[in-house]
Amino acid sequence: MAIAYEKIPFAGTVKSPQKENEGMITGNWRTRRPILDAEKCMECQLCWISCPDSCVNLMTETSPITFNLKYCKGCGLCAEMCPVGAISLVPELDFEE
Amino acid sequence: MKTNVKRMSGCVATANAVKLANVDVICSYPIRPYTGIMSELARMVADGELDAEFVLGEGEHGQLSVVYGASAAGARAFTGSSGVGVTYAMEVYSPISGERLPLQMAIADRTLDPPGDFGSEHTDALCCRDQGWIQGWAASPQEALDMTLLYYRIGEDPRVLLPQYACQDGYFVSHILGEVDVPTQEQVNEFLPPYKNHHVLDTRDPQIIGAQMEPEMGPGTQYQRHLAVENTYKVFEEVHDEFGKIFGRQYDPWLEEYMTEDAEIVFFLQGAHAVTAKNVVKHLRNLGEKVGVVRLRTFRPFPTKQVRECLKRFKVVGVVDNSVNFGISCGSGVLLTEARAALYNNDEKVKTIGFVAGLGGSMITQNEFYQMFTILKNINKTGKVEKESYWVPFEL
Repeated sequence: MAIAYEKIPFAGTVKSPQKENEGMITGNWRTRRPILDAEKCMECQLCWISCPDSCVNLMTETSPITFNLKYCKGCGLCAEMCPVGAISLVPELDFEE
Repeated sequence: MKTNVKRMSGCVATANAVKLANVDVICSYPIRPYTGIMSELARMVADGELDAEFVLGEGEHGQLSVVYGASAAGARAFTGSSGVGVTYAMEVYSPISGERLPLQMAIADRTLDPPGDFGSEHTDALCCRDQGWIQGWAASPQEALDMTLLYYRIGEDPRVLLPQYACQDGYFVSHILGEVDVPTQEQVNEFLPPYKNHHVLDTRDPQIIGAQMEPEMGPGTQYQRHLAVENTYKVFEEVHDEFGKIFGRQYDPWLEEYMTEDAEIVFFLQGAHAVTAKNVVKHLRNLGEKVGVVRLRTFRPFPTKQVRECLKRFKVVGVVDNSVNFGISCGSGVLLTEARAALYNNDEKVKTIGFVAGLGGSMITQNEFYQMFTILKNINKTGKVEKESYWVPFEL
């Protein structure tokens, strides 16, 4: 059923979501999983700013960057952008879980 | 009222308008003939005449994506292309109008491949006619300059917020010098206020522009864009009036008529070939023929009402299409089908005949216009239509 056009936000523009959308989980689309080699990582966080789905979590004082695999589609942009080759893409079939 | 008349090409005139509009972001990628606009703008930026971010795109798809982002971030943005460059960027046009970002793209027409011969042909820009952008053709360098200013103002109006294709015929306008009255910065500042959108990308108030939607939201989203296009008609009229008051050049937003008073036969066309048509019509008038020219200035939104009221005054209308539309209804071009659709359900019986002419950058010669007129004159005399459309010159 179509929603009344007056109720649709102008040009479909919406506030950035503050929580995860459980109705649109996209992690199962992934065929390759990003894996970080923390030894090589130089902490530039280009991967974080490049991810089109906001699936790279910023590093903290105690942890390097992490990936939100619930939504990561495995596009590989992070690995492509990494200037030191610290991110590799591993086929999902290599993992048991 | 003349302030600063110079001789310049359509490309340089457009570049001057872009400078006067004080754009923030320009994205270029070379292809003839529009590229003359970008070389002039690059010079202006390098010489410090224009303070703008000048970005080199990696192709036309990239070009449109750059200005898309720039406009979403609140910048007044400008880009352009020609021929296959225009079609290469096709994917990005609908998102830009759907997200209501009023950036401007100049198109100096070039034929698609084949023949890819650099020549002018309206096919490139007309391929994009239904993407929710404003679109029209300038027929002189002066009009090209004015159109850039007019379109920014119309497109950025809060009731509209739509992007614009400011089109000019390749070479016939883009590379031929004409007298151009260059307005002062004060005039332009009075006419064109700074760009403000009601959704701007801002880290302090994060939002998603172009979010993926559920199918139930689709119809309403498209209807919003349709309403925006419908709003454009009123804004076109208002803005052209105001333009006339400030700059002293009063254009009819939709149609330019030439020697149409008491005319029985007219040529209906858009762009620079109207200049040749006018010369021929002037000569035919001297020979006593009742003939005129109606030039369409705005193609999107299509001025249905104005075209209907205008064309129904005549008996035979020769519609000259400068584009290819293979397999189209009536076998000619999109201008013919739109003119016929505008006239349909109308009491008057107007005969409309299509001509496909000037393809691949060739001139539509005076002789060809005389031959087209002979066909139209015969139809007016006998009332019989043997063929709905003709390819010039092969079928004349």
